[in-house]
Amino acid sequence: MQRAWLIMPLIAVVALGMALLLSVHVLARGITGAESFGQAFESPSFGVIWAINTLVMLSFALFIGQTGRESLRVLLTVAAALLIGLLILLLINPQSASDAYNALLTGPLSRLNRWATWIDDAISLTLVALAITLVFKAKLFSLGAEGQIFLGALASGLVALFVEGLPPALHLSLAVGAGALVGALWGLIPGVLRAHLGANELVSTLMLNPIAALFYGLILEQIRLPQSGAMASALFPASALLPRLIPATRVTSAVLWVLIAVLAVWWLMQRTPFGYTLRTVGANADFARYGGINLRRVIVRAMGLSGLLGGLAGAYLALGIYQRLPLSVSSGLTFEGIVAALLARENPLAIPAMALLYSYLRVGAPIMQNDAAVSLEIVRVIQAIIILLFTAEGLIGFWRRRKAA
Amino acid sequence: MAAAKGGVSVENILSSIFSATYLAAVLRISTPLLLPSLGALISVKAGVINIGLEGIMLMAAFTGATVGGLLQNALIGALAGLIAAGLMALLLAAFHLGFKGDLILGGVAINILGSAATVAIGYQLSGARAGGLNLPPTGIPDLNLPFLRDVPLLGESLHTALGRQNLLTWLAFLSAGGVAFMLYRLPFGAHLRAVGENEQAAASVGINVRRVRYTALAISGILAGLGGIHLSMGYLNGFSRDMTAGRGYIALVIPALGGYTPLGTLAAALLFGAFAALETRLGSFNVPSQLPQMIPYLATLAALIIYALRQRARATQG
Repeated sequence: MQRAWLIMPLIAVVALGMALLLSVHVLARGITGAESFGQAFESPSFGVIWAINTLVMLSFALFIGQTGRESLRVLLTVAAALLIGLLILLLINPQSASDAYNALLTGPLSRLNRWATWIDDAISLTLVALAITLVFKAKLFSLGAEGQIFLGALASGLVALFVEGLPPALHLSLAVGAGALVGALWGLIPGVLRAHLGANELVSTLMLNPIAALFYGLILEQIRLPQSGAMASALFPASALLPRLIPATRVTSAVLWVLIAVLAVWWLMQRTPFGYTLRTVGANADFARYGGINLRRVIVRAMGLSGLLGGLAGAYLALGIYQRLPLSVSSGLTFEGIVAALLARENPLAIPAMALLYSYLRVGAPIMQNDAAVSLEIVRVIQAIIILLFTAEGLIGFWRRRKAA
Repeated sequence: MAAAKGGVSVENILSSIFSATYLAAVLRISTPLLLPSLGALISVKAGVINIGLEGIMLMAAFTGATVGGLLQNALIGALAGLIAAGLMALLLAAFHLGFKGDLILGGVAINILGSAATVAIGYQLSGARAGGLNLPPTGIPDLNLPFLRDVPLLGESLHTALGRQNLLTWLAFLSAGGVAFMLYRLPFGAHLRAVGENEQAAASVGINVRRVRYTALAISGILAGLGGIHLSMGYLNGFSRDMTAGRGYIALVIPALGGYTPLGTLAAALLFGAFAALETRLGSFNVPSQLPQMIPYLATLAALIIYALRQRARATQG
């Protein structure tokens, strides 16, 4: 205990210091940044950027603290996957391989707007990964987040567009609440089907996703702007938008949502009776049933809460990023969230770091394509390799056996 | 649109729908749904649900069209596509059965891999951002059956519906029968179903569970691969990114609608195809395209509920 008291301030100081360096670096690199080191400190956004970067550093510290030696395995897996990706690149395009990796690994920090995209992307990934963690923890395989994102965005967008005359704070809260509520209700459907009818949640969510996406398209077609060429709604009124914290970027106050969501999910899973039953069901469903746990209730609640987070992610994308209802809210964000949840070993406190790690690659990918003319899809190949390497439990045993032989 | 406005009537819609050309379209559109659905069915029956069908289809579609186009030989292209599909399925099988990785996450990885690798390789080969190769298309040919015209009374309609279908369409419908025969008439099918229903019991009577599951996943991959090849070499000319458009996921749903039987799967795939074909036909009428597209999913949802209710009723009786 005594050592913990010493370590905490030390970590805080190191995080603040590293965040300061990162902030100055990012701010001094142009494109809506400050153009030079001297100006970086005078930038009005300096404080916000420093604060966000401190959160970034702390989330990595938290990840290491939470997962201990496991964090090494995560890093090794990601490094191995990156290495395999590099080998593939060397095979198909040897001239640009080093340029490509340089752009991929340093790109996201090379300009303020790219850094901001990284933070934005990590926010949505964290929310989706939290949603996935809640159901995976109970050994359920729901892929329903995709549908929840669409309907959450739709609900919050409709409130933003068609509810008028409210003060800004109330309008925004109502829009966010509508998104979360609709997401939760949509999440309850596969939960009830599974709990009360035994219907496979994987199949039912695969069915509900296209229904949600088609419904979204149907409504969007009714409310789209007829004069604009793009299939999108009108821009939301300012009273329903998430306030942007840094000028010329899309970094919004949703940073705080993520903080609250992570702590709430952690508290729910570790400090409440519901969390205990959820973990017990996930560890051994038969044991849980004999122990008198109401399996149905746990499943329904987990799926509903997961839906709430999925809906929240949709609301964030609509109100914070797009500021309107776009043609497509998400293209496979669920699968990206699965990777983050997987790397975090379904530990909510470890999720932000893994979302940041994965978003970093996601944001680096288009920069790589732009700078080195290497397809950004290489990063998704790396993503697939990460999943395969990380979840193949037998791989470790296989290595050990080979070493022994 | 203005011309169609006056003519919107139930009669008009019906006559436009129930025609021989519509039937031909349904068969054509059902093909890339039926083939992976049969693959999904086999994997489910063996207790190893193959989530990776979408990625496998994409890989087969890409490899088939690319190799076929480069060599100007459709047969070699199709074979290359099938080999690629088989390898993807074996990768999933080795990951799950050999390295004890999670089957669902493995399937997710296969889907990401199929979607990403096809675009990345296409990009490198073509140097173009669209990720498509400009190859002269090589396709699996249609099967011409001119003699259908000679059938009395129905000849002309029959020829329109069946006379110029792709070889792979015929193969798809034969596969449904083949899968039924395999599952219910061959010893391997009995083993496969036994493994899916009760792994321990199957192992205790000497069935090699692992080998059965490897084979089941390989077959499901080959069937999905045929579906992918149909997309890029029959249904359309050439590969485009994510051209499967979710068919690999729909294929996981279709067997549920068909009650997890081969013939039920065939009927369910035709139903999905019928509504997909309807969408293009309703274009001239003022019906939002999403509504007919939604119907098969809602029908499957209803079927899933009915199926579950029936099973529960059976369980409480017994």
